[in-house]
Amino acid sequence: MSRVSSEQDPFRAIADANRRRMLDLMLAQERTVGELAGLLGIAQPSVSQHMAVLRLAGLVDERQEGRRTFYSVRAADLRGVAEWIAKYEVFWAERLDALAAHLARQRQ
Amino acid sequence: MRDIVVAREVAFPREMVWAALTDSRQLAAWLMPNDFRPEIGHRFTFTTKPAPGFDGVVRCQVFDLRAPERLAFSWQGGALDTVVSFDLAQTAGGTRITLRHAGFAGASNLLPRVILGFGWASLLSRKLVAHLDGCRLGA
Repeated sequence: MSRVSSEQDPFRAIADANRRRMLDLMLAQERTVGELAGLLGIAQPSVSQHMAVLRLAGLVDERQEGRRTFYSVRAADLRGVAEWIAKYEVFWAERLDALAAHLARQRQ
Repeated sequence: MRDIVVAREVAFPREMVWAALTDSRQLAAWLMPNDFRPEIGHRFTFTTKPAPGFDGVVRCQVFDLRAPERLAFSWQGGALDTVVSFDLAQTAGGTRITLRHAGFAGASNLLPRVILGFGWASLLSRKLVAHLDGCRLGA
């Protein structure tokens, strides 16, 4: 997996609980910033700021309709997160190998 | 999202494996620097290199401790709020160690839906099998 700058890191983008709730709401159907603000009970400027982070991380698509902008989840880009979990699987396999090597040293 | 499960059988007695899991210095030798103590409720950290979205500190709390068969602690780092457990079973040749890292769905409710939709579960298992084969060839 290539290195990404922290602004583009999808894992950082979903580290925030409000952004996760926004993604959940946009997964069900496309939403405007105003709708999200109402559903989450947070101010529109905050939702706009969170949306900017999600957009930079490539997690949302936008569609213009008249003067309104609808946002939806671009699910394919959450693959980076899945790859991160795969790394954990390899991490543990390697750590258990290290444990076995450590035990062998203890016995000597 | 299914749990991560990794198992190993080692030719060492269970008490010896238990000590390697529950002695802070031994734990540091094969896992990460830590301030672990074998006490239920003890809060401790593992420290490693920071990465984007992760300050390099894993915050943990012991919640299951049954010598010499089971150790479980919470594992919180970055966006992860997960659980790690080790189960030790005596076998004819030594000890079977089963590591389980569970609760990845808690990282985001999105993960199970999105990942299952893309068939990542099967891809991950293929990756692990390839990795384990590589270990065996290297041994």
